[in-house]
Amino acid sequence: MSFLFRGRQQGAQQVKISLGRRFLTFWLHHAQQCIGSLGELARYPFASLMTMAVLGLSLTLPATLYVIVKNTDAVGANFQQASEMTLFLRQDLSEQEVATFHKRVQVNPAVASTRLIDKAAGLADFRQRSGFGEALDTLENNPLPDVLIVTPAESYRHPAAAEQLLQQMQQQREVDQARLDVGWLQRFQAIVRLIQDGFLGLALLLSIAVVLIVGNTIRLNISSKRDEIAVMKLVGATDAYIQRPFLYTGLWYGLLGGVITWIATGVLLWWLSAAVRDIAELYDSQFRLTGLNITEMGVVWGFAIGIGLLGSYLAVRKHVRAIEPQ
Amino acid sequence: MIKFEQVSKAYPGGFQALNNVSFNVEPGEMAFLTGHSGAGKSTVLKLISMMERPTAGRVLINGHDLKKISRKQVAYARRDIGMIFQDHRLLMDRTVFDNVALPLLIEGYSMGEARKRVQAALEKVGLGDKIRHYPRMLSGGEQQRVGIARAVVNKPPLLLADEPTGNLDPKLSAEIIKLFEDFNRVGVSVVIATHDLGLIARLRYRTLTLKDGRMINDGLVEENL
Repeated sequence: MSFLFRGRQQGAQQVKISLGRRFLTFWLHHAQQCIGSLGELARYPFASLMTMAVLGLSLTLPATLYVIVKNTDAVGANFQQASEMTLFLRQDLSEQEVATFHKRVQVNPAVASTRLIDKAAGLADFRQRSGFGEALDTLENNPLPDVLIVTPAESYRHPAAAEQLLQQMQQQREVDQARLDVGWLQRFQAIVRLIQDGFLGLALLLSIAVVLIVGNTIRLNISSKRDEIAVMKLVGATDAYIQRPFLYTGLWYGLLGGVITWIATGVLLWWLSAAVRDIAELYDSQFRLTGLNITEMGVVWGFAIGIGLLGSYLAVRKHVRAIEPQ
Repeated sequence: MIKFEQVSKAYPGGFQALNNVSFNVEPGEMAFLTGHSGAGKSTVLKLISMMERPTAGRVLINGHDLKKISRKQVAYARRDIGMIFQDHRLLMDRTVFDNVALPLLIEGYSMGEARKRVQAALEKVGLGDKIRHYPRMLSGGEQQRVGIARAVVNKPPLLLADEPTGNLDPKLSAEIIKLFEDFNRVGVSVVIATHDLGLIARLRYRTLTLKDGRMINDGLVEENL
């Protein structure tokens, strides 16, 4: 225990602490300093709460963006599931042949349902919608093909499987052209990716900002205790011992800031949910926003704690070391 | 116990605080360090307590060259040195108990053990009934004695005091010195820096006299100095 006087044979009476006792007191110290730093925060509740709120609210934005991205992904998956394919049949088929082909497609196990729009119906529909009625009357015969709209069975709705079914249909003698409309889906996914990347960049920037804010707050704490730290160093405190309460302060900032993030994210999503419901109704969708689940809440919490610890670590490493008794 | 071998110390800016100083304090010895202000008394104490490092020469404590003690080890080494200051350096927002217990808690004593030792140390300096007080509520002499209790609570083999009687009247000063004599009697080496020559002359202890960073006298101080 004694550094300069091994065993302290001469001089004052010997002092001895057993190894097991040291181990125990080490953890006891940790617990004391942990609770002590919480008490310290409670002594200045307003200032502490402000720092926690900065941390918590800064993380709310990326957390909310994450929730939105997660939900749009779910929407995308829904749309993907519902993908239909359109088969344009050859012009020269007889009605009989079309009917036979329709039946054949219907019994295909990869197909859930079909809908036939024959030439005449297609023309009538076009005439009604386009307003080219008179112009169409001048045509000698109907230029439109019979169209078969195919909804794949459940197991064939994933893009790759649907693509496979499309190939199969394309190879049928009666089919002139088969099309799976995925263009808009790709555009949609590109937008989601853009939001995702933006959310990552934003989260990174805000995290750095929070680390700096926590670091600066802890730095101010340290310099307000300059005299105390100098005295502690005089009576033999190691840097690690002095640093610990400040690290625990950072931990508490993260711990409570994370809870603020949960609450703020919940409130924000509740606020958005009405608007989202309106949009969903316009699209005849049953879509509802789902918030953070337990795992995601855990991740947010861990992240907040990590940021609090990192900020305080950066501050103590630099500033506690710099204080020396005069 | 404490050995200075041709020690010089220049502060940044060029001020030569100590110039080729050598002396040796034996284990269990009590010595005074004197001289005018600026003569280098405080610098000697700072070199022993590793608050400063010498520019030349060696400082040894119990045979350990302090130059070989790394930054990390300084904290542990300081636990063997009790330090007392003129301004006592107490934590004003903590109770007397918290102040005196500080070195023990840092060293890893349990609360129960610390309580016993703090009580014993405060009894020794005559403040057994002031354990729950705040330093502000105490007189100057009492505050100084709290500082002494903090310095001796973990029973270090070496005590350093920098002008411990600086702000006190002669009667209180004599009481403080008597405390140091008591610690010395049980084997603690004591070095006291002071410019209170009258005090030293009455006591007839070994006296190291510094002048402008040089050792000009080692022995009993003469009344006419």
